[in-house]
Amino acid sequence: MEERQTLAVKAQIEFRRRICDRKSIFSIFSESPNSNYSKLKFIVSNSVTEGCNNSVLLLGPRGCGQKEVLDLVIEDLKAEYHDMISVVKLDGILHSDDNCALKEIAKQLCLENQLLFSKMASSDDNSQFMIAVLREYGLAHKTVIFVLDEFDLFAQGKQRLLYSLLDAMQSVASQAVVVGVSCRLDADQLLEKRVRSRFSHRKLLFLPPNKEDRKRQVFCIIMIPFISLFDWRKWYCQFCFEVKSVFSCKGIFILNFFLLVQKSTHSELQYLVTSGLMRGISIFRFQHAYLILFTWKQAFSFFYAYPKSEKLGVLLSTLTLSICPAMRSLHCKSQRSCHYNAVFKDPLSIHKQGPYLSSNCSQKLSLKAWKSVLECSAIFLMLWQILGVKYREKKLIIQPDYLRIIIHSTRSCGSLLVLLDGREQF
Amino acid sequence: MSKEESLQVTKRATRSSTSTPVKTASRTQKTIKPHASLLRNDLVFEGEPLSLDALISNFHGRRLQILKLLNFIGPLNTSMLPLFLYGGPAAGKTSVLLQSFRHLQRPFVYASCRTCYNPKILFESVLNQLSSHRQQASNGYSCAKKCDKPSDFVHLLQEAFKEVINTLKGNSKEKKGSKESEGKDCGSMVYLIFDNLELVRDWEKESVIIPMLFKLYDILKLPEVGLIFISNASPDTYYSNTGSLEPLPIYFPDYTEDELYQIFSRNQRNPKFYSSFLDITLKPFCRITRRVDELSIALQSLFQKCCEPLSDSGIPSPGDMKTTLYNRLKLHLAPSLNETFSIPAHLSSEDEAKKDKVRRKANMKNLGHGEALDDIDFHMSVSTKYLLISAFLASRNRATLDAALFDSTGGGDNRKRKRKISEASKEQKETAEEELRMKGPGTFPLERLLAIFQCITSVMEDSLDEGVQESNSDSGAEGGNTQLMSDVLLQLSTLCNANLISKGGTCPLEASTRYRSTVSEELAMKVARSVKFHLKQYLYQK
Repeated sequence: MEERQTLAVKAQIEFRRRICDRKSIFSIFSESPNSNYSKLKFIVSNSVTEGCNNSVLLLGPRGCGQKEVLDLVIEDLKAEYHDMISVVKLDGILHSDDNCALKEIAKQLCLENQLLFSKMASSDDNSQFMIAVLREYGLAHKTVIFVLDEFDLFAQGKQRLLYSLLDAMQSVASQAVVVGVSCRLDADQLLEKRVRSRFSHRKLLFLPPNKEDRKRQVFCIIMIPFISLFDWRKWYCQFCFEVKSVFSCKGIFILNFFLLVQKSTHSELQYLVTSGLMRGISIFRFQHAYLILFTWKQAFSFFYAYPKSEKLGVLLSTLTLSICPAMRSLHCKSQRSCHYNAVFKDPLSIHKQGPYLSSNCSQKLSLKAWKSVLECSAIFLMLWQILGVKYREKKLIIQPDYLRIIIHSTRSCGSLLVLLDGREQF
Repeated sequence: MSKEESLQVTKRATRSSTSTPVKTASRTQKTIKPHASLLRNDLVFEGEPLSLDALISNFHGRRLQILKLLNFIGPLNTSMLPLFLYGGPAAGKTSVLLQSFRHLQRPFVYASCRTCYNPKILFESVLNQLSSHRQQASNGYSCAKKCDKPSDFVHLLQEAFKEVINTLKGNSKEKKGSKESEGKDCGSMVYLIFDNLELVRDWEKESVIIPMLFKLYDILKLPEVGLIFISNASPDTYYSNTGSLEPLPIYFPDYTEDELYQIFSRNQRNPKFYSSFLDITLKPFCRITRRVDELSIALQSLFQKCCEPLSDSGIPSPGDMKTTLYNRLKLHLAPSLNETFSIPAHLSSEDEAKKDKVRRKANMKNLGHGEALDDIDFHMSVSTKYLLISAFLASRNRATLDAALFDSTGGGDNRKRKRKISEASKEQKETAEEELRMKGPGTFPLERLLAIFQCITSVMEDSLDEGVQESNSDSGAEGGNTQLMSDVLLQLSTLCNANLISKGGTCPLEASTRYRSTVSEELAMKVARSVKFHLKQYLYQK
């Protein structure tokens, strides 16, 4: 039994490693000729072999593997063309400032060629250095790959960096590839005219994997044989059998449902796997497959919990919750946002809210309730950030039906519900 | 000594002890390279390791969250995805996390965005802790590394982490080799905790820092680093359009009524009596708040009140205890419900208060806004006071009434003439006035503010001069005027910075900046009283 337990722990560690290693999750798509991996590899390797410049944008919502695929491609090409490729990586969040970005480029190029980087160099020096290196690389038939993560952040302001980079590539006989990665699908529309004309309009769109692909991803995480890791073969075979049986019957249904709901990123998938599978593995040593199924279900329900409802229903006290109908009614009346005075000093609302809002709660208390409303920015939209607490305008951005459900679910709020219904008839 | 207090104390103690880790280890000189075991001591939680059972029983009603957290953090030497702990204030996020690390005995770095109130300090505090560098008198309170920009921070962080992880790895190898059991192996993972993340949203460079922190996992690319964020606000309020991996959320709900009951009735000297006390009081208080810290303050004072008469007559028999208690508390209950939360929790502890000096100053200003204190508790120059008053007037009165109120003769008489109007129009005006009140303070351009300022200062000088001599008045008024007007714009910007006047909302037609006074009427009255200015006279009222 103890042996089993250590094995389960080992298996858990192995799964965790796999989930955290995102490259391997996307590597399964590399074989097919139509995949983004193949296209990107073709573009970059073309530039390496033919000795020409190139530029490409990798667009798509986050979590669809732009960076992972790019890393895979670079890794493969580096192995293929030994010593022929240098990579310069910039991040829009860190290097959106032009001078800072040029400095970073110079630094990474120095590091690549075992040169000494001078911190004192001006940005002019740095850009001249960059051009010189590009020329050298062109003569030596070596390729530089510039990876610009968060590309849209580089396309703000005057876009001096992009311009000088692309211009340098054109004017010198260089051999460079600029790869932009962005979550904004319209990232190429942000470019200035002079930059756009120098940019090739190659775009690779990364879409969330479809159902079949996702299933393959999950299988790939779970099912890679790891007999090499564990010598207890029997256990592993049983495990594979049970996972398969889960996937073949009811499990598939749940997985499908899950994939329907979560369309965008693969981080949810990871989440599902970490929370569900981890526990599944740890329970596994005891018995049946339905335990795994159960944990999957559990993970799913845990994830599906609507964030706003837990916020409203559990976090808010009754007092704060009682503000909602008042705001709702004000909203119905005037279609406008409202602030503290409107909610608490509106004679109508005072009259109708009766025991909740006015008579037995002091100014301090009502201000406190209002402050806690400010904190729940998921439910209330803040319009005037700069003003004092009292004058910040708020808008209820939650469906009235939904509000009713929440109020209904909290105890001791029956009268509020009546109130809300009364207000709707305004 | 009630339980809730001791609970509070332990909480605060843990927080402060982690943010200023291990004073005793300051023997390490800066020149000596920190030895592996010393380093370990620095980053691992001080004190006895906690067993899992003790951990769970310490935090009542947090069993699920603790198990989930430990599950996500995982066994020794396994990488993890970034975590995001969120939930209302006083739901036990920070203490659960820190105590879990005490249980795990693994190295971590804790940085709270409340004490590290700007990016520079945040970065430097993280780097200081990693390189086990302590700011002290001998090194002139200097930092290990100066770091301002996020890009520098990432570089330095990467280097520091690599060094720490290497020493940790060497350390654990050494241990395996020698089989020395001088403590549990703490593994080669280092965890980086950012607390109070919601405050970063109010920082100046918020649009850079938050995506950077969330993306740190991708940028560092070190599987040995675990990132954990703690925040009051839910993850969907941090939306950003960057390609960072979404952290896994763990939600800490507020305590339910039953859980609160359990928490408060622990460690009571007289459990029966206290439980009947809770039976009566907890329910009404729960309607208002479910924060442990606020409730503990409120309940404690109430409990003392109900203990007072008991102390001499002894405890009554349990049968009629509830009714007698209820009768006794009836009077106190309602007022204390209203008064509860006047003391913010983080001011109660001195430690915290020291750290939060800056915050507290801001708080004081807030208090000045809302509550009726007897005098203004911050200093203002006379002309600033006038400026504040004129801003208040400009916000409350309509621009069309200015001419009537601030006539050269001084206001009072004109106003009376103005108010002779028919009933119908009066009513109309009242509704309009009501609407105006509902809308809050109005905005005004700079010119109007200056005009009003000039009017009221000249009126005041006139009234002063009347008392003194007539011959002197010319030169005196002249001098005073220039003195007052000299740096009005400077004072205006000071007031804006102090949030007494808010700037913004440029009018689309005029393209000039508009201001708005955010001062409550009470404060304005107080300020006016301090310079002996009759504010009511100039305030247009129904």
